[in-house]
Amino acid sequence: MILTIVVVVEALVIVALAVLVLGLLRSHADILRRLHALDGGDPDGTGVAATTSAGGQPFQTVPEIPGPGPVRIADPKAAAKDIVGQGLTDDSVVIRTAGVDHDTVLAFLSTGCLTCQGFWSDFASPDGVLLPARTRLVVVTKDLAEESPAVLAELAPPGIDVVLSSQAWADYDVPGSPYVVAVDGATGRVQGEGTGMSWEQVAGLLAQATGDRAYLVADTSGRPVKPESDVEREARVDRELLAAGVLPGDPSLYPDGPPPVGVPGVGDAT
Amino acid sequence: MSASLSGWGISTQLPDGWEGRISLRVTPTGTTHDEAAAVAPSGRRTLRALAGSSAPGAVGWPGEIPNPVVHLANFALPPGRGDFGSGATDRMTEANALIVLFEYGPESVGQPLFASQGLPHTLRPHHFRANALQRQIPGQVGFQHFFTEAGRAFTLFVVLGSTHHAPTLTASCNRTLANTRISPR
Repeated sequence: MILTIVVVVEALVIVALAVLVLGLLRSHADILRRLHALDGGDPDGTGVAATTSAGGQPFQTVPEIPGPGPVRIADPKAAAKDIVGQGLTDDSVVIRTAGVDHDTVLAFLSTGCLTCQGFWSDFASPDGVLLPARTRLVVVTKDLAEESPAVLAELAPPGIDVVLSSQAWADYDVPGSPYVVAVDGATGRVQGEGTGMSWEQVAGLLAQATGDRAYLVADTSGRPVKPESDVEREARVDRELLAAGVLPGDPSLYPDGPPPVGVPGVGDAT
Repeated sequence: MSASLSGWGISTQLPDGWEGRISLRVTPTGTTHDEAAAVAPSGRRTLRALAGSSAPGAVGWPGEIPNPVVHLANFALPPGRGDFGSGATDRMTEANALIVLFEYGPESVGQPLFASQGLPHTLRPHHFRANALQRQIPGQVGFQHFFTEAGRAFTLFVVLGSTHHAPTLTASCNRTLANTRISPR
């Protein structure tokens, strides 16, 4: 009698476990299908790429702001282009992304995009962005004619290059903002690209694309020292000299005589 | 692949691996929205007025008539650099080089300091010395030369990451300088 009860209970447990396993497998398959859809794949084998978010609802942006397309897998043959444009202070800028010894993360943002606000805010925070060593972050907006100058001047994060270049948007086929492209400097190839609702999400994407967890976890070893102290020191010295009436070229700046115009060999160099 | 960079009458063709920026030093002014649409002497719309003193990098003084500053380098130029590369030179490796072209005002033209004519473009390793640096960094060497070209007064300041690589770096700098043109303003 006892043996029969034990067998029945055991059978019930096995059935329950079987149901649980089947449920987990089904859930896993559903997750895989949705991940595939997020990658722009064909979830139903119909040959139509996914255009909706994981929740099944189309990705929405505010009116007049183009929404980002589905996350794309980087084309390993896609060659990176240099960034040529205008800086915030009306300067002419060329930034190399290919054939250099550092990697570049290009963040394509705009001033009118609501989702971009979080990115601007994260970039302005000293602790907002983690980057691997020898990786440079560059914010790329469209040309001034397509942006709000006042808002851009307000949003531009200190200590990060901001370049205005509609040409770069075209070169990288940016579908909308925010959009992030990681470029391998040594090979000049795009390592990964995509979008997200926050830098945190994008950092996860970059970590996956590049295999570098430094986008997610702080790595303080070997990180370059920030130059602010030098710049502040130079600015302070300039201010104090100017306040004392000492202008550039003032003879008092050269107690040992004029600067070395006649450095030996210089005449040969010209 | 070379890249073109030009502004304020200065143009250059950057060799592979070199990048650059031609800018005017930010002059502290107001920060009203009206100034966002200010027009630079070049005729381009500018953010300079809005950037004001909050912009990174060297900042001038009120009333200053800023002149162009050119930074060319074979490494990633960090934002917030000083006119003569402070903030950038301390990031240089042994294989890096930085070229600065700094223009002075028209009052400097004709002064003895700027008597030399033309932008040098045949530098040699022995021109570089450690004590020519604005701030001495072990291993680095520098070169400074004042000159006039196209009726404009400049100083050329070049920093090499190491004397060991000076021959290669000097040749690379010379290629960059040879592609640089200065036109009358």
